[in-house]
Amino acid sequence: MEHSFLHSKKILLVDDQPELLTLVREILTDDGFCHLASAGTVEQGLAVCRTQRPDLAILDVMLPDGDGFSLLKQLRQFSEMPVLFLTARDEADDKLAGLGLGADDYIVKPFLPQELLLRIHAVLRRCYKEAGEQIQLAACTVDFSRAEVYRQDQTLALTAKEHALLETLVRNEGRIVTFDALCEALWGENPFGYENSLNAHVRRVREKIEADPSHPVSLITVKGLGYKLIVR
Amino acid sequence: MNTLSRLFSKTFAAFSFFIMFLIVLNLGLFAITFYGVIHHDYGPDSPSVMLQKTAETLNGQHISPSMEEPLRQAGIWAMVINDAGKVVSSATLPPEIPDQFSLGDVAVFSRGYLHDYPVFVRKLDHSLLVLGYPKNSYIKLTSNYYSYGTLTRLPLYVLGTLLLDLILLFTAYILSKIKVQRAAGPLISALNTFPRSQRGTLSTRGELAAVAASVNQAAELIHRQNEARANWIRGVTHDLRTPLSMILGYADRIAHDPQASPAIQDQARIIQKQSVKIKDLIQDLTLVSQLEYEMQPLRKQEIHLARLLRTIAADTLNAGLADVYSLDLDISKEAEDLQLACDPRLIRRAIGNLIGNSVAHNPQGCSIMLKLETNENLIILTAADDGIGLSEAQRQILEETPHYLESIDERLDLRHGLGLILVRQITEVHGGTMKIESSFHEGFRVTLTFSRS
Repeated sequence: MEHSFLHSKKILLVDDQPELLTLVREILTDDGFCHLASAGTVEQGLAVCRTQRPDLAILDVMLPDGDGFSLLKQLRQFSEMPVLFLTARDEADDKLAGLGLGADDYIVKPFLPQELLLRIHAVLRRCYKEAGEQIQLAACTVDFSRAEVYRQDQTLALTAKEHALLETLVRNEGRIVTFDALCEALWGENPFGYENSLNAHVRRVREKIEADPSHPVSLITVKGLGYKLIVR
Repeated sequence: MNTLSRLFSKTFAAFSFFIMFLIVLNLGLFAITFYGVIHHDYGPDSPSVMLQKTAETLNGQHISPSMEEPLRQAGIWAMVINDAGKVVSSATLPPEIPDQFSLGDVAVFSRGYLHDYPVFVRKLDHSLLVLGYPKNSYIKLTSNYYSYGTLTRLPLYVLGTLLLDLILLFTAYILSKIKVQRAAGPLISALNTFPRSQRGTLSTRGELAAVAASVNQAAELIHRQNEARANWIRGVTHDLRTPLSMILGYADRIAHDPQASPAIQDQARIIQKQSVKIKDLIQDLTLVSQLEYEMQPLRKQEIHLARLLRTIAADTLNAGLADVYSLDLDISKEAEDLQLACDPRLIRRAIGNLIGNSVAHNPQGCSIMLKLETNENLIILTAADDGIGLSEAQRQILEETPHYLESIDERLDLRHGLGLILVRQITEVHGGTMKIESSFHEGFRVTLTFSRS
């Protein structure tokens, strides 16, 4: 359900190498993305952004008529859309410059197709929320817009912190989210000493979403690291 | 500074030896030069021998005729003066010599010359034997006295002068040593760390200015060459990145293409796997060369190590670690809030490499454990697995064989991958040390130790 929502997003690829454009296109099409646009230069890229309003841009750093950084700068004058850099330069400096300008992530070539997809999904999930989003768990359904859990014939309300906790886990569905990342999502930058509170919130969330809270199947503890959420 | 001291003590020994040699040489030269003269002075014609011989052969107060011949041959004249000052006997006496002498005349010539003939006298019973030697054959000291004090002080003077000379020489030596040391010290320490020393930092003043300038120049040159080398590696790897992306991408697509036969899918997976190796190599190579030539700027920040480790572990697991592997964290209570000033990107890379190593070398699977401990002074980060490990010989090779980037010989066969080199370099730029422990079938353990800032 979530995937089809993400796959409906329009993605713009800007790269001057047609072979690479074809490859990325094929990878994305295979994954299920169906709205794809591409451009070979800064100028074309900007034009596509203006006319077609893509939801995500994947930019090469080196382009024939400028570089990805300047493209991003110009883009930022009229759009806040998420941007991902795909660069053949090494990690040393470009990435930071890219992120400083407001890029959402970067991928260094050579990349693995799965890595590319993972990053694209992560950026899209972070930036776009599905309206009236609902998720199916093993024992219940969670409605994020209403902050409610439906279980058999019961309706349970989620507190703000429980909502934030579940939302963070859903965004990283099936993946481990560290204690630290969860604390940060719940209490902001540099949280210290919130581990016990986090445990308490997790316990209460489990009471609401799990059939048997002492043997959780949806919200799973990964020992020493964090938690992950299994969505049906 | 050690080399310098060694150099100086060697020079000191050499100089001491040289001075001794000079003394011996001078004595030798003295002997050679004066051997003839001394031989002559104390030979059969010498005054003391002649006086003795003439006195012995005297016939009463008369010079024996047997002496006349030897005296003539030596150019010596002789006379005997009685107590009244009258010449009673003589041999080959020159005509200008008078035959009567007053007491005063005797007193004067006995100390010196008679008509410019150096004369030598001997007291006999009631007479005086006088030998006159050819003019300019001897020099007589006419004022031949020294005060008693002069002579008693002479040994003290000689020894004292010698001692003082030695002290002065030694002082001069020490002073010049200090001076040279001051000028050469920075040069030598710069050369010791060469070419890692900071460029152009040697002062180009003082005695060794020209040398310092050359060292600076050489350091600059080496730095530029290193820079060129790192840039070259960077450029080459850059050009490999896009083509490799294509290979990786299409290999992956073929491997997952349901229309491809299983054999083709397998082959595609092999291409994929090998391409991943090249990908890792490219990424490591760039960083290793930059660290090696100190071109990688460290972006240090205070990093919460426990969190960083959790993030790395979670990322590794999220990226998909095969089921045969397990990855666990063990963070001691004391280490939980620990911060280290470090470049998180590099630390992440180092730990990633260690995990990657364990995975790569244990295709049958293994458990990987990341451990963070601390005590008052140290932070100890351990990455260990329970896999096949290394035999002692392999471990030694790993620790002792230089990598081809750091070696100039031609043996490429014993070289290991860049992974651990990079870990070591990253650890070292953070002021830490890396230790490898392993035994065959008992796993592999790398310990990184940092000091607490």
